[in-house]
Amino acid sequence: MTAPVAPTAKPARRSFLNWLLGAGVIGWAMSVLYPVLRYLRPLSDAGAGSPLKLSAEELATLGKSHFVIARSGTRKVIVFEAGGELRALDAKCTHEGCTVQFVPGDSLLWCACHNGKFDLDGRVLSGPPPRPLTRWVATREGNDVVLTMEKA
Amino acid sequence: MIPAPHLEAPASTAQRVYRWLDARFGLGKVVEFARHKEVPLGGHSLVWYYLGGTTLFFLSVQLVSGVLLLMYYQPGEATSYESIRYITARVPFGWLVRSIHCWSAHLMILSLVLHMFSTMLLKAYRKPRELTWLTGFVLFAIALGFGFSGYLLPWNELSFFATAVGTDSVKSVPLIGQWLLEVMRGGPDVTINTLYRFFALHIVILPLVLLAVLSLHLLFIQLQGMAPAMAHQRPDRPGLRFFPDFLARDLLLWLVCLIFLSVLVYLLPYGPGIPGMEWELGKKANPLAPAYPGIKPEWYFLWVYQLLKEFPPHLLGMEGPQAALLVVTVLMAIWALVPWLDRRASRGQSSPEFTDLAIAAIIFMSYLTLKAWDIGGKGLPGKLPDPRSTSWVCAWIVLALSSAIAVLRILAYGQRWMFFSGAALLQVVLNGVFGLDYLISGAIALVLVVAGVVASRRAPALRPGVTR
Repeated sequence: MTAPVAPTAKPARRSFLNWLLGAGVIGWAMSVLYPVLRYLRPLSDAGAGSPLKLSAEELATLGKSHFVIARSGTRKVIVFEAGGELRALDAKCTHEGCTVQFVPGDSLLWCACHNGKFDLDGRVLSGPPPRPLTRWVATREGNDVVLTMEKA
Repeated sequence: MIPAPHLEAPASTAQRVYRWLDARFGLGKVVEFARHKEVPLGGHSLVWYYLGGTTLFFLSVQLVSGVLLLMYYQPGEATSYESIRYITARVPFGWLVRSIHCWSAHLMILSLVLHMFSTMLLKAYRKPRELTWLTGFVLFAIALGFGFSGYLLPWNELSFFATAVGTDSVKSVPLIGQWLLEVMRGGPDVTINTLYRFFALHIVILPLVLLAVLSLHLLFIQLQGMAPAMAHQRPDRPGLRFFPDFLARDLLLWLVCLIFLSVLVYLLPYGPGIPGMEWELGKKANPLAPAYPGIKPEWYFLWVYQLLKEFPPHLLGMEGPQAALLVVTVLMAIWALVPWLDRRASRGQSSPEFTDLAIAAIIFMSYLTLKAWDIGGKGLPGKLPDPRSTSWVCAWIVLALSSAIAVLRILAYGQRWMFFSGAALLQVVLNGVFGLDYLISGAIALVLVVAGVVASRRAPALRPGVTR
């Protein structure tokens, strides 16, 4: 218990106590908020971007519908065959994050959400996407297809 | 003051209950308040005073039907889609409950948008009702949040990509964009974790925030009464009693709304089939499937969706989506701050610029929405709609409607200040009829409107205050 403040007490003491109280409230609020904010942010997924081997099922889809979308950690990769060559690109459109598809007839990659078009190397041909799609390297190892992210 | 009309007669049960409560809580004050509550009459149609009430009615339908859906809905990778299918296919009247929830959601937003625009056009936001407008704006944002979060819950293809696009735009927020994106999605991508978060948002967080803000909004209206017409248009006559005269009309209208809702639900249980207004369950979401053609958000987000398409990859050192969302944010901020910007209305004077601003907003959003619907651009089956012919047809539709509105404004209301709506229409014409780029058309219109406003300040004959 503190003694009641005498009417003659200097204003400096009162303002110091107010300051201390304010700082205490802010410190308390931060100690409550920080764990909440930290709790809300999910753990980052390890293994994103590491080499990836296509499963037999994915290989079958690739043969059937000219392209397949595989997952590497949290990244999605589109693998397609064009001109006898196996290619792979990030499947996530750089505009608003929809998943692109391979259009074999026009030899391009197309995002249905906002009509973005990319060439087979991932460069933007038309539409709103601001950046090219990241390239992956697709190599055949025997009967398997292995995807590795291209070093920038 | 205690109303006790028949003290001598033997008291009925209701009267005894009333007296018991009154002795404890002093209900007399409330009754006295209710007796004097009035709806202002004259100046403009009474119709505009009903729209808040109809919004509230559809909201209550949402609360009831939402709780009913919750009895069977199970969030989860293997259950979300399946439980919705179970509700519509197996549960007795499950299709009815889901259809009511969907229809009523769209009607609530429609009623809310009409309520907002009528408030804007009648300047009901003016002093002293600035905070009623602001809480109303927040309620509008909450309603959009409800629509957006509810969209994902069936976990079908449509909802998956709509959420992927909608949440992706959050990354454009400076500094905290990436953090916010991951917090919203529960990870870097849309997964079932996103659904859990949206579920919590949709059924717990948003309803609590909604009730708090709605209480404030309604409290302000009780404290201040409904906004009367502007002084210069208001005849001097008493208002309509709220109890029971207006309330009876309100209830009758709610009954009409309920019947209308029932007819729609019965005839079109999966929506009218307009893009952005249909809720066939379709295929289950597959995160590894490509987005399919014709994917669109709900109708009230279509103008933003189309704006995202119109922006080039890069603009003024920003990426296209970032610039587009900056424009949307600025427009929304202007809209929210209208009561403070419109200083003439605060003083009780006419402010034709703000009437025109509302009309310009309608023209701007109508054109984008029509374009998003690909009206006039339908190609052969399997072909994509041609954007050029879409713009052409949509521009002519907007031009015809805006001209009709302009003629009506001049003849019926004597309004002459039309710089904003004129500029909005100019952009539509330059883009749609003459095929100029959307943003260049917008820039030309913006320059002309600034020049026009500056010139009108110099030439008093064109000054807003001079118009009738």
